[in-house]
Amino acid sequence: MLTDGLFILFTVFAVTGAAGLVLFKHPMNGAMSFLVTLISLAGLYALLSAKLIFAIQLMVYAGAIMSFIIFVIMFLNIQEEDLPIEEGRFKYLIGGVIIVAPIGLFLSRVIKSFPGADAIITVEGFGEIKEVGLLLFREWLLRFEIVSILLLVSLVGAVVLAGTRRIAK
Amino acid sequence: MTLQDIILIIIRVAFGAFVPLCFVAVSVWMERRGASFIQDRSGPNRANILGFRAGGLVQNLADAVKLFFKEDVIPGHIKHKFYFVLAPIIVCVTALVSFAVVPFADTLVLGGKEYLMQAIPTDLGILWFLAIVGFSVYGIILAGWSSHSKYGMLGGLRAAAQTISYEIPMVLAIISLLVVYGTVSLNEMAQFQGQLLFGFIPMWGVLLQPLGVIIFIIAAFAEANRVPFDLAEGESELVAGYHVEYSGLKFTIFFMGEYVAMFASSAIIVTLYFGGYQIPWFNTATLIKYAVPVTLLLMIVTPVAAKFIAAWIRKNNVSHYERENDPRVREANVYIKIVWGTVILLEAILFLYLVFASGGAADNILVACLQVCTFLAKTTCMLFVYVWVRWTLPRFRYDQLQKLGWNVLLPLSLLNIFVTSAIVVALS
Repeated sequence: MLTDGLFILFTVFAVTGAAGLVLFKHPMNGAMSFLVTLISLAGLYALLSAKLIFAIQLMVYAGAIMSFIIFVIMFLNIQEEDLPIEEGRFKYLIGGVIIVAPIGLFLSRVIKSFPGADAIITVEGFGEIKEVGLLLFREWLLRFEIVSILLLVSLVGAVVLAGTRRIAK
Repeated sequence: MTLQDIILIIIRVAFGAFVPLCFVAVSVWMERRGASFIQDRSGPNRANILGFRAGGLVQNLADAVKLFFKEDVIPGHIKHKFYFVLAPIIVCVTALVSFAVVPFADTLVLGGKEYLMQAIPTDLGILWFLAIVGFSVYGIILAGWSSHSKYGMLGGLRAAAQTISYEIPMVLAIISLLVVYGTVSLNEMAQFQGQLLFGFIPMWGVLLQPLGVIIFIIAAFAEANRVPFDLAEGESELVAGYHVEYSGLKFTIFFMGEYVAMFASSAIIVTLYFGGYQIPWFNTATLIKYAVPVTLLLMIVTPVAAKFIAAWIRKNNVSHYERENDPRVREANVYIKIVWGTVILLEAILFLYLVFASGGAADNILVACLQVCTFLAKTTCMLFVYVWVRWTLPRFRYDQLQKLGWNVLLPLSLLNIFVTSAIVVALS
């Protein structure tokens, strides 16, 4: 009962936030409403008992990436007069909805016709940090390490590049 | 759910919510008295209720009253009023919620059930803290941006850039810590630190990660926007930075948020590096085993400590010039009576425990209470370090601050990860 209520709450927030991202005119409003979507997605992950993904969603997407985007929006200091005039955006919106609606209907049919859609597939320790870690380090070790080295190299590269440019001046 | 479950939920949530808020008062008081101590002056000591000044704590009440009754202005040029109001709330709430996963006592076992002593009983631990700390940037960015003035904007930009760049060394310092502890749960980390190194040194994070603790503390100072990293509100150049347009209650919430964040990060530093709730050499199992001798020791130590505290109050709480019927002496008498009253109450409780309840579940509760006191004492010491640093070090220049973060702390924390992992692999 509580889970159902939370599920409905999070989905409503997620969809409203995504709609707000498209509909709001000011980029800051769009970014904040997208933030609502990201947080509600984290809530949905938590309901699916994926604890680690919940934390990562909050930390990486809602915390880090969105704060960068908002930081950039703030840096550019966009005023009302800088925004493009969008005439007839509602016409495009309605047209878009009419085009997308059949695809949506089709997708919902597909999902409903999946075999065993109502079965519970979580096993003991599903989505726990330890289990995900074991899986990563047993089955996906090489790929995991390559990605982590890639990230490290990009981090160090960014620092080196930013440093050399200052010296060249 | 039994009654016991419900009571414990209430206790834990209340602890997680009210203790940080109470510590706002304590840390503001400590900041002012600490500042005056370091600058060799008295600090706030005049505000009183019926002559009782509580060592300057009453000044906080006066300040609170002042802030509550100030006019709460939203300047006319602000277009996005919603974000302007939301910003301080985000800062304060994220700071409060980030404390929710810090364990303030070891797992309490009552009637065969285990209770994690955190406001939110989850083992996400440090991941939760990092996620929530990431959110506090939004408050600062929104405040700076919606203030729509140059000072506010510059302060917000500075604070956001600083918080984002210091998050990296902080997370890297935590990674090397995770290699040592092998867990993300803060409670398990604290339990790990209850062990003994070579059989006689408490295995605290500060000993296992001497470089990590320095990096983490520096990063935590920068995250909390405290001196020497408070460029975001540098008075000499930015007036007050991102909260320059705020007044009245909204400023109060910013102010409280800053101190709650300071408390939460002290609590995290204590839990990660200084043994959390562990009393050195007495981990939970030892304490429960020797509950009766420990209680007896407490019953002897508290009156002795109270005697010294009473003597200290008697010596210091006097007027510095000749006065007839010195009201401060009268005040001191009452304080000393309160101290002795508390001691008598404590002795009575401990005596009742020894006579009626020792050996059962009361042992566990006693140990939990002791650990809560230890945890709060350690956190208070860490808060004092914040005050101490604030009034000792001058402010950085902004390029120096970014250079310190990227060119010094980042390579050091990477080095720390490599060295730590090499040692852990070699030892296992």
